[in-house]
Amino acid sequence: MGGESIITLSEKQDWRDIVHRCFRCGYCKFTLEYSDFNCPSYKKYQFETYSTGGRLWLIYGIISGEIQWNEGIANVIYACPTCGNCTENCRFEKFNDFLVDIIEVARAEAVKNGFCPEKQKALLKRTENTEYYNPYGEKNSDNTELKKKYNLPGKAEWVYFIGCTSNYRQQNLRDATLRFLKKAKIDFTLIDEHCCCSPIIRTGQIKPVNDFINYNVAQIKNAGATKIITSCAGCYRTIKKDWLKFGADYDFEVFHTVELVKQLLDEDRLKIKSEYKNTVTYHDPCHLGRHVGMYEIPREVHNKIPGIKLVEMRRNRENAWCCGAGGGVKIGYPEWSVEVSQERLIEAKETGASVISSICPFCRTNLSDANEKYNMGFEVIDLIEFLDQLDIEIN
Amino acid sequence: MDKNKILRNLEKIVGKDFVSNKPEDLYIYSQDPGASLSRPTDFVIMPKTVEELQNIVKLANAEKIPLVPMGGGLTLSGLVIPVKGGIVVDMKRMNKIIEINEYSKYALIEAGVTTGQLLSYLNESYPNLQPPVPDAPPSATVAGNVLIHGSGYLSQKYGDHGAMINGLEVVLPNGDICKLGSCSISPFWFARGPIPDLIGLFISSFGTMGIISKVSIQLFDKPKFREVVFGLLKDPKDIPNILLKITETGLAEDVILGMQDKPDWMKGYVFVIAYVTGESQEEIDSHIKTFKRVYRKANARYMKTPDRIRNVYLEKPIFAAAAADYRKGGGFEYVGANMPLEKIPEAYKRGAEISKKYRIVPTLGSRLIGGTHNIVMFFSYSFNRADTKDMENARNALHETNKLALELGGIPWKAELAGQQLILEKMDPNYKKLFNSIRNTLDPNRIMNPGNWEVNQ
Ligand SMILES: Cc1cc2nc3c(=O)[nH]c(=O)nc-3n(C[C@H](O)[C@H](O)[C@H](O)COP(=O)(O)OP(=O)(O)OC[C@H]3O[C@@H](n4cnc5c(N)ncnc54)[C@H](O)[C@@H]3O)c2cc1C
Ligand code: SF4
Ligand code: SF4
Repeated sequence: MGGESIITLSEKQDWRDIVHRCFRCGYCKFTLEYSDFNCPSYKKYQFETYSTGGRLWLIYGIISGEIQWNEGIANVIYACPTCGNCTENCRFEKFNDFLVDIIEVARAEAVKNGFCPEKQKALLKRTENTEYYNPYGEKNSDNTELKKKYNLPGKAEWVYFIGCTSNYRQQNLRDATLRFLKKAKIDFTLIDEHCCCSPIIRTGQIKPVNDFINYNVAQIKNAGATKIITSCAGCYRTIKKDWLKFGADYDFEVFHTVELVKQLLDEDRLKIKSEYKNTVTYHDPCHLGRHVGMYEIPREVHNKIPGIKLVEMRRNRENAWCCGAGGGVKIGYPEWSVEVSQERLIEAKETGASVISSICPFCRTNLSDANEKYNMGFEVIDLIEFLDQLDIEIN
Repeated sequence: MDKNKILRNLEKIVGKDFVSNKPEDLYIYSQDPGASLSRPTDFVIMPKTVEELQNIVKLANAEKIPLVPMGGGLTLSGLVIPVKGGIVVDMKRMNKIIEINEYSKYALIEAGVTTGQLLSYLNESYPNLQPPVPDAPPSATVAGNVLIHGSGYLSQKYGDHGAMINGLEVVLPNGDICKLGSCSISPFWFARGPIPDLIGLFISSFGTMGIISKVSIQLFDKPKFREVVFGLLKDPKDIPNILLKITETGLAEDVILGMQDKPDWMKGYVFVIAYVTGESQEEIDSHIKTFKRVYRKANARYMKTPDRIRNVYLEKPIFAAAAADYRKGGGFEYVGANMPLEKIPEAYKRGAEISKKYRIVPTLGSRLIGGTHNIVMFFSYSFNRADTKDMENARNALHETNKLALELGGIPWKAELAGQQLILEKMDPNYKKLFNSIRNTLDPNRIMNPGNWEVNQ
């Protein structure tokens, strides 16, 4: 792959110095207790090539000059939802943490060498378009209307970073969040946000990332905020981890809405007065689970809802099966992506739940798509949406 | 060979998604995690059913294309890298656990079932039973392991894993499906005989006799309690004596030895790692007492083990790859030689000398197989995968070690091509003749993993 490294994995660690450490032993294919293959990519394609080890060996082959980029290799590198199961289950310390990073850096190299697949290119094209600034190709909403509607100030302590999926595809989730923040009397506002860059970073199309981050950070600073809250697992991971990796200069705190809900419950300020009498199973979004290790807070919040019966899927927490939407897979491999969600819904069925909840609009979208396509009969809902349905009191 | 035509025909058998001759797939299937150089592969295929497998074999036989059966591809000795090109048959889609028999205690499984899959299935559904699995990563297949005389934590007590095969279903090189063992007569896959035992032909023959589609292996009762008792021995000369004393007690489940210069605290000792099992903690405590006594009498010192180390050794199977890859270079390979007990002290001494000669930190170990009937001795060489010279150095050390094992009256296990040739050089000519004539009868076109066990006449 030659040339300078686009991203160093940490201060001291260059990815090219460690990629050959993959032993191709395959722990990364499994759940922790080997109950199932848990790498969606390997499970789908089944050739060793599509395991994490296969990917890393191809990447090393390119570095060492044994093989050259071609469309096939690029396809292997891109056919991965960056779910992080490998990071969780690879047993080699000081190496496992970097597996997803290495895959993402290899994607950046694919882009540099002209092998970014066409479908993923569309993400960048739309995001860079000055009419859109989002991967959905929707006209950019500077959120002025929403600010008016919800009577939000110009400056505030918090900024609600809506995220493109909630703003352009899951408006119900966005509105539920806005209503919740209002009810909680949070001093917040909205900014004219541009994409957080999750989709383009995940697909290695990193050229404009710094500009986007700088723009968003400037907007947040202009709003005088010291806290950012988002209802999207992808934005959360990206703002919290990637923005810093890309050298963003910010010192605001980053929250997911579920953390705020938990805090309000702990402080006894949030009271849920009506019941939610359903059996619910919670799907851990990869970006919040394996990527940042948040497993218990969402469960604790669910369990505080009167009447709810929260049941676990066979694969949960660190072992969760991915929804299949991340890492550019939803746009690059739409059919497979929904198949991955179908597998999640089949697992959810085994629990007897009628509702599957999550706290990520992207998971919600993909699980809903599978629910519809395969007639699975679930209610797919975001936690904030069912709080919105309940009679709650916040003081 | 008209590769396009062959690809089209293979696609007809398994569908487009499960056969490939794309450069990226061939690159991956042309190498393994050991120190062998890569060798070209023409196709990779993944059958799902025995009928598909049978059709692949028939096609290869008609076209005279080599077939290389592959499980996890984890022997490290290049056994699933084609020698003469051809089709790698990755068996992992044949992954059904067909039957667990709790009375006769066996598992009937397809050949692609991984050790991880079987282990976890039993843990979940038959928690009283345990499978014989190696300390290899969980993506190794059960079939791939038993077919190479594998061994593991049950081997001291019950023998090598090849001996635990009750029955096989094999696709022979002409495409016939043949059942071996009690299953050839009875619906129960419970025993190997009493009939002429042909199963041995398929063990350690490295896929040269046919492709196994199903295997029945013995399962064992899982003990309620297990503990590990560490001892330290100063002089390798005392190894035979302590092992005889340990096995005399009849109390050990597994016995492993280790002698390595890294980490520093391990240098200068032979570590004796014995496992005891029992139905109660009292029983375990009493066994530990016995072992302390045995160690004392055999010039060894009992070592109280910190939980950190104890837990590593109580994980079943052990995470062996961590120790193996101590250089963090992504590569290691070992000579695993089956040795007679009396030669073990010399093997340790001279093994360490070979390591030092090749500037590799000595990392030696062994495991008892069926008491002291057989000891597998590990001479392990870690290397940096990114350094071709270092890999070559490891290959040279491995070759010299194979020679040492043979000189000491041992036999290299799952030997790579060069090691196979060293073994054949020493082998009784009539053994070779018999083996070759059976092979020619079964596989006149020499399609089954050619290049392996190649007898030069
Ligand atoms: C870290 C580490 C630790 C290990 N520890 C142990 C250990 O404790 N004990 C032990 O025994 N081994 C150990 N091994 C060696 C090896 O990994 C295992 O023996 C493993 O189980 C081999 O299985 P596999 O599926 O990888 O076989 P493969 O490498 O895929 O195949 C082995 C041989 O069998 C043939 N074969 C595979 N499937 C079939 C089939 N269906 N029909 C016909 N022929 C077939 C192949 O052609 C090849 O010749 C270890 C390896 C590593 C890397
Ligand atoms: S990524 Fe880790 S677990 Fe996976 S094959 Fe490589 S070394 Fe093994
Ligand atoms: S991130 Fe997930 S899909 Fe990608 S290689 Fe790792 S385990 Fe497989």
